[in-house]
Amino acid sequence: MSELARWLAAAVVLAAVPFFLGEYHNDVYRKMLLWVALALGYNFLFGISGQVAFSHFAFYGIGAYSIVILLFQVGLPLPVAILAGVALCALLALAVAIPSTRLEGFYLALATLAFAQLFVVVLNEGGRVTGGTGGLMDYRLPEIFGVRITGPWYTTVIVAVLLGTYAILARLDRSWFGRACRAIRDNPEAAAAMGVNVARTKVIAFTVTSVLAGLAGMAYAFVDNTVNPPIFGLENAFLLLFMVIVGGSGRPAGAVIGAVLLYLLPFVLSPLIGHHHALVFGLLLVGAMLVQPRGLIGVYDALRRRAA
Amino acid sequence: MQDFLELAVSASASGCVYGLVALAYLLMIRPTAIINFAVGEWAMVGAFGGFLLLTRAEWPYPVGMAAVLLAMLAVGWATERIAVRPLVERGAPLLAPILALLGMLVVFRESISLAFGPDPHPVPYPFGFGRLELGPLAGSYQSFFIIATTLVVFAGVWLFFERTVAGKAFEAVAINRRAAALMGINLARVTALSFAGGGAAAGLAGLLVSPNISAHYLMGVPLAIQGFTALVIGGVGRVEGALLGGLVLAFAEQLTVRYAPVPAGYAQGVPLVLLMLFLLVRPTGLLRAREARA
Amino acid sequence: MRSAGALLEVRGLAKRFGGLAAVSDLDLDVHEGEILGLIGPNGAGKTTTFNLVAGVYPASAGVIRFAGEPLLGLPPHAIAARGVMRTFQHNRPFAGMSVTDNVLVGAHTRFRSGLWSVLAGRARARDEEARQRRRAAELVEFVGLGESAAADVATLSFGQGRLLEIARALAGEPRLMLFDEPAAGLTPAETARLATIIRGIAERGIAVLLIEHDMRFLLPLAHRVAVLNFGLKIADGKPDEIRTHPQVIQAYLGDPGALADAAH
Repeated sequence: MSELARWLAAAVVLAAVPFFLGEYHNDVYRKMLLWVALALGYNFLFGISGQVAFSHFAFYGIGAYSIVILLFQVGLPLPVAILAGVALCALLALAVAIPSTRLEGFYLALATLAFAQLFVVVLNEGGRVTGGTGGLMDYRLPEIFGVRITGPWYTTVIVAVLLGTYAILARLDRSWFGRACRAIRDNPEAAAAMGVNVARTKVIAFTVTSVLAGLAGMAYAFVDNTVNPPIFGLENAFLLLFMVIVGGSGRPAGAVIGAVLLYLLPFVLSPLIGHHHALVFGLLLVGAMLVQPRGLIGVYDALRRRAA
Repeated sequence: MQDFLELAVSASASGCVYGLVALAYLLMIRPTAIINFAVGEWAMVGAFGGFLLLTRAEWPYPVGMAAVLLAMLAVGWATERIAVRPLVERGAPLLAPILALLGMLVVFRESISLAFGPDPHPVPYPFGFGRLELGPLAGSYQSFFIIATTLVVFAGVWLFFERTVAGKAFEAVAINRRAAALMGINLARVTALSFAGGGAAAGLAGLLVSPNISAHYLMGVPLAIQGFTALVIGGVGRVEGALLGGLVLAFAEQLTVRYAPVPAGYAQGVPLVLLMLFLLVRPTGLLRAREARA
Repeated sequence: MRSAGALLEVRGLAKRFGGLAAVSDLDLDVHEGEILGLIGPNGAGKTTTFNLVAGVYPASAGVIRFAGEPLLGLPPHAIAARGVMRTFQHNRPFAGMSVTDNVLVGAHTRFRSGLWSVLAGRARARDEEARQRRRAAELVEFVGLGESAAADVATLSFGQGRLLEIARALAGEPRLMLFDEPAAGLTPAETARLATIIRGIAERGIAVLLIEHDMRFLLPLAHRVAVLNFGLKIADGKPDEIRTHPQVIQAYLGDPGALADAAH
């Protein structure tokens, strides 16, 4: 089967699923797809490019809030609002990434942590623009050519965002750019000696993944038709990191597995430990670091090697 | 003026709390280069320890405080044993224990939340609610208690590093791990002690701040950020830097709230903006590490 | 001393670290297809010179011209883009990638397709990727790592890691190769193989600057040798001249082992 045919088949299958699910399960499904999209982007930033950052989820929020604000407060038409939102994410990402190239190792993590927290503070204090602590609600996706896309049809949009994210990142990963990112991750001095412009590559990786997170956020805005500050807090930023590590950082398959597993796990665990599923995540992370830092993918690889 | 002096006392007290958290980070970063984000949760555990022993069990304050500190030494030591030592011994990259500690952060917080529930829990004031006037300075008993306790702790830590052999060993590890090991310094013990000390410093911070804000399972992360900002401002090189950084941060926060024409909620943004600014402009902090003496 | 038309021209190069002059007033030339060996006792300034050419740190004084263009002040990645590639004395592979991918990173500056071509999946980008992969496979064969092409870098022996360093640097299509003590840590068999490889590289017209301690390896291999001592060049000429040069012998009197090697 040609590559294009495989993509279409995947798209059709993923998009068809919600038509067989009830409303509740459709909601779970869509959010899971969005988490997978986020995890893929974060896997590229953290696992492939080696940048420990906590801003990824904040860009998800920036995308979500900006599409709502641009559509319903500034009054832009949908395509323009999307482009403007993308531009905003790109500008903010550059503003964070360019100065950060001078920061070593974990200091980037802290600067992005501060950025993410600052985003939440701005949301809470943003008055009418951001809706303050209550957030924004009572809006709907505008009609596109007279058609209102809702329900399982909207999930198709999310599938498109997911596959688009996957395709972009896969192309980048398999190219000289992806190799340059990994080289920087593994040995920045040697990478520079081989001709890699370390600062520029890091900035590009950060910006691309942040914009992709922002696009996912725009799709998210119309899932619950509400956006509020607690959603975009540090909790979820940590969760994203946990997903990528537990699944297997550096491998897209790991990101998918980690996202699906850690997203669905609370549903399974809630009869046992209620809201405290984060406890299991924390334990999984510690366990992963101690036992198999390569995550579940690493476990799978090791088992396969032993069987061979 | 009176206004400002009162603010000064209150800000100094907050600054001392931040300084203690910064000290916790510093104690662990210097010999190991590991940034332990769980210090915020350690502070929370200290606060809850205060709740258990002082509010619920109604122990006398000095006894309860000492017990909490001892317990926090153990918590710090245990954390290192579980999440750090196995990784360091395996030669794992620096990121690994940092991430493991991030996992521990969540474990601590959720465990406390599971055990005590989401509501705030009161912790008593050792000297009650009263106010004290020392000349022109006026503030709550608690503020003065915090300042006094912190000064004692910092003086003790400073003396430890400057005047004791053990402290010098610490410094040696901070400067060059391999050389220190070759000189016979037990790296594992230094690391274990540094984490124990970090646990105690963070726990003390939590205990001191909790009468004002109550013990609450979410109090960890904001303190962790404020403490880290204080560390970055003051500089990792010197113990005094942690306290200086804490004071600078606290004054910046309170002056912003009091005098700046922005809504009060933005005060939370002050440590964040300062952190980003310092990381970008002056990541080594205000105080430089002392030059090696010939 | 030929100086006309040298690919790499170093004039009056100096580097001071605090009060210590690591390199002073150094002149060097390396021509295409020529192997210039740079030797000297420990602390002579060989590594400093190497690092100055490779752009690791700035020079205190002097000029370095590569194909007529100044090289000093350029960051390492720009120097690589100009066609100057280097190996590292302590192997620095990219541990998370396969052998072939490591070599492909070396070819980074040779990729012409931009990010947009890559994202759009243009045929040009795909063809270039395929072409570079083939080249990388050839280079892996050339250095003798053929069987390990798909292997995880972690499984390579020290000697194999050294070969990877070389293949990776060659992937950058360099006109000048900088070798930093390439024979260090290699077995005699690996050392012989290394000499063959370096000779092969020079035969392809690539200029080679070779820092080395092991005189038994260097003197038969190099076309010309420059000798440093305390940051100053004390001799420059053919290997046979250097072998019997009185000042060189005196400099190495503190290193009789090296001298004994050279006598063979």
